Amino acid sequence: MRALVVYCHPSPHSFTAAVRDRVLARLVSAGAEVRLHDLYGEGFDPVLTRVAWEGYLDPAQAAPVTREVADLRWCDTLIFVYPTWWYGLPAMLKGWLDRVMLPGVAFLMPDARNRTIRPGLTHITRLGVFTTCGASRWLTWVVGAPGKRTLTRGAGFLLRPRHRRVFAAHYLMDSSTVESRAAHLARVEAKMDRLIGRVA
Amino acid sequence: MTRALVLYAHPCADSYAAALRDAVTETLAARGWEVDLCDLYAEGFDPVLGDAERRGYHDTATNTAPVQRHVDRLRAATALIFVHPVWNFGFPAILKGYTDRVFLPGVTFRLEDGRVRPAMTHIRRLASVTTYGASRMRAILAGDPPRRVMGRAFWHACRPDRFRYLALYDMNRADAAQRAKFVAHVKRQMEQF
Repeated sequence: MRALVVYCHPSPHSFTAAVRDRVLARLVSAGAEVRLHDLYGEGFDPVLTRVAWEGYLDPAQAAPVTREVADLRWCDTLIFVYPTWWYGLPAMLKGWLDRVMLPGVAFLMPDARNRTIRPGLTHITRLGVFTTCGASRWLTWVVGAPGKRTLTRGAGFLLRPRHRRVFAAHYLMDSSTVESRAAHLARVEAKMDRLIGRVA
Repeated sequence: MTRALVLYAHPCADSYAAALRDAVTETLAARGWEVDLCDLYAEGFDPVLGDAERRGYHDTATNTAPVQRHVDRLRAATALIFVHPVWNFGFPAILKGYTDRVFLPGVTFRLEDGRVRPAMTHIRRLASVTTYGASRMRAILAGDPPRRVMGRAFWHACRPDRFRYLALYDMNRADAAQRAKFVAHVKRQMEQF
């Protein structure tokens, strides 16, 4: 098992960092190979530039994100750990998708034989999404959980069809308690066990 | 007089998004509106919400300081129009970061007893002008996240009198006639907006 964990939070002392640590610990104890992308820690630049945009359709132009692309091709398990801001992904994580989920890598553009976009990440068989929301579960549901959908459906479409998928969110984060946070970390571990499944 | 803030996000000056931007700004200016164009790429907007800003996020006395100029422009507006492509079923990062950093508590919403109350009610007209690589069907299957954020989250923050979500789907296969038709549609909508 080869897991790529994309972690996004500005503060090293955040609850999101604690979630990341539980995720990593679960992967290590399952014997998985793990690569971690700490977007804030690495100072990732989320802005897709004019040069990158103009070379967008040419896979050879992926030079500035070579490592990200290599890790995306390497992994069979993709995990995102981040806070939800304005019902969506932090710009930092959204920019990771913009710059790394390239044509020829994450998806194949329509061509003469195919009318529409086809998945390019069919080697990825597991998707884990772990987040925190300031909003309540109810309000997030009313708005339609756009951030979750961007990952589970938008990016999820690019993976192996019928891949294994888990999602966990701690809602009402601003009024969380020691107990609610501990309960959520236990939930994260349970979800990770389900995501990992039986490992040979 | 109506004052419109146009939030525009595309890296290329000769893009189709730029043509949509011009259709919006020229139509509104011709109506006698005051138009403030915020070109996030050209202005070099930094979309990354850092540790210090995150910690100060809920302190409404000081949270606007790092982006004061943008907050002032937003508060001066009575109409707000987003012009951008949809990438990966979301806003381009530079635009998502604008909302992360500028749509602050006290500016766009207030938290009262844990409930979100609108604070951007000076915006009476709210619109999105956008393009998708995905077909409409695929966007619906994905839950169309940007449409939901605009139509629900930002709509609620403004409670506007008028709301328009103008989208051209399946952009990669749209021919010149379809693109021109959508520009004309955007102009017509902005005349009546």
